[in-house]
Amino acid sequence: MGVTKVVEIPLALELPVGPQHPALHEPVLLKAYADGEEIVKVEINTGYNHRGIEKLCEKNSFYRDIFIVARVCGICNLVHADCYVRALESILGMEISNRAKYLRVLAMELERLHSHMLINAVMAENIGFDNLFMNIMLDRERIMKAKEILTGNRVLSDYVMVGGVRRDIDEVKKEKIKEILAKTEERLRFYKRVFEEDSSILKRLIDVGKVSREEVLKHSIVGPVARASGVKIDSRASDKYDAYSEIPFNVITRTEGDSWARMMVRWDEALESINIARYVLDNLPSDANPVPDEKKLPRKFPFGEAYTRVEAQRGELTYYVMSDGKSPNPYRVKIRTPSFNNIINTGFMYVGYSIADLPVILTSLDPCISCMERAVIIDLEKNALYKIPIKDLSRGFR
Amino acid sequence: MNAPGDLHFISEYILETQIVKPDRKVYVFKREDLRRIFEKLIENLGPSSFYISTIIGTDLKDEGKIRLDYYVVFLPKEETIVFRTFLPRDDPTIDSLIDMFPGALSGECETYDLLGVVFKGNSFLRRGFFVPHEIVEADKYPLRKDSGV
Repeated sequence: MGVTKVVEIPLALELPVGPQHPALHEPVLLKAYADGEEIVKVEINTGYNHRGIEKLCEKNSFYRDIFIVARVCGICNLVHADCYVRALESILGMEISNRAKYLRVLAMELERLHSHMLINAVMAENIGFDNLFMNIMLDRERIMKAKEILTGNRVLSDYVMVGGVRRDIDEVKKEKIKEILAKTEERLRFYKRVFEEDSSILKRLIDVGKVSREEVLKHSIVGPVARASGVKIDSRASDKYDAYSEIPFNVITRTEGDSWARMMVRWDEALESINIARYVLDNLPSDANPVPDEKKLPRKFPFGEAYTRVEAQRGELTYYVMSDGKSPNPYRVKIRTPSFNNIINTGFMYVGYSIADLPVILTSLDPCISCMERAVIIDLEKNALYKIPIKDLSRGFR
Repeated sequence: MNAPGDLHFISEYILETQIVKPDRKVYVFKREDLRRIFEKLIENLGPSSFYISTIIGTDLKDEGKIRLDYYVVFLPKEETIVFRTFLPRDDPTIDSLIDMFPGALSGECETYDLLGVVFKGNSFLRRGFFVPHEIVEADKYPLRKDSGV
């Protein structure tokens, strides 16, 4: 007797997480397919925030673009500006004063501090630890204050300019920032201990979203995520841009490769940032005025191309700037942000974990959608019907 | 071992050497040798000694070409080497690398949708994921210099 009827049973539950979702603070859609509680596949859909910044840069002058690129992302605006400005200085063949280099480093490390504190706070909130979230955010406010003392603004600082920085620092400000650093360091050590010892944090984070060293390199993952899997990459240490060649610091790596290791890398890096910031304040050179005269900056850019890297909070951020030597606008500006690689290429990381782990894994990657959304990407096939056995949907399937 | 000077095993594919400021070595190659070069890199250096950082396409309209740059970071020194090739503007096709390096996915998809470079073998390429639908309907690639966007 032949088969007369085939009954199709749905393989998986389709579960949209985002773009407006209580677990996510940013507009991204993770379309997860779950078999019971277990995630078998994740599609990453973005495109809720597209702004076309690369094209905008081609339509504006080299100098105006400094303000455009600083608005790619609110959290990491300073590193964007620094990376772009260094590309321009490379094309111009310009050297800047040591004092300006040190001040740039100080500003960028303050930014790293508040960014790392923010994502660790968000992680606490996502695993239901709201009290810890609020406490970390409260302490993060101090760093925002320090950033305001240094640059004049809490968030969008517009501090870096071609040839140097926009404001110098005096002794009173130095002392204020040092006080803030001392208070924050104490709190950072406390929070680090909480993340090391609290049993509910450990249960939610350990062994969740594990990724190996080989997978990190194959999928071009960068930043704290890569370092938590034992890949020692850090543009500050390798490119030695600005004053990083003169400032001692450690590149933090761990070997666990899970969500917990990524958060711990961030706590340790925050403590390193405190040391760097303190070193800058204690050893600030006074070789020249760090604020250049804007009227004397070159108006014409020669033909040339430059590719600069910077270690943003989320990992390697790169800028490519090309000048054709004729136009007052750049011919091409290409921005590759860390989230562009870290979020789009990591669909494989969720497979095999439970639905409740999904926000934890995503948060541990420190997603920055406004960074990614200069271009809009959808990762995978959109078929609603799957004729693939669950076995084939195993880890690594794209 | 991973110093760029030691990339002699791909020297037969290199047509020219250039420099992108500051001190990034550029190796120019023919587009049909792309996969061969990356195969050689894996063969000689191992699969986990470098990663593709970014893929940059530039429209050189006046020369009738599209320039494609692969920025590859070599560990442990993190030296960035550029592999550069030129595609004719009327036939901008090149082989895909995503079967070897899934990390090339984001760069390839972006370059296709914004510039129209077709990566043969990448089944994820499609229009309209990067750019708004009205630009897709007008069949425009926004980063091309004559797109009018």
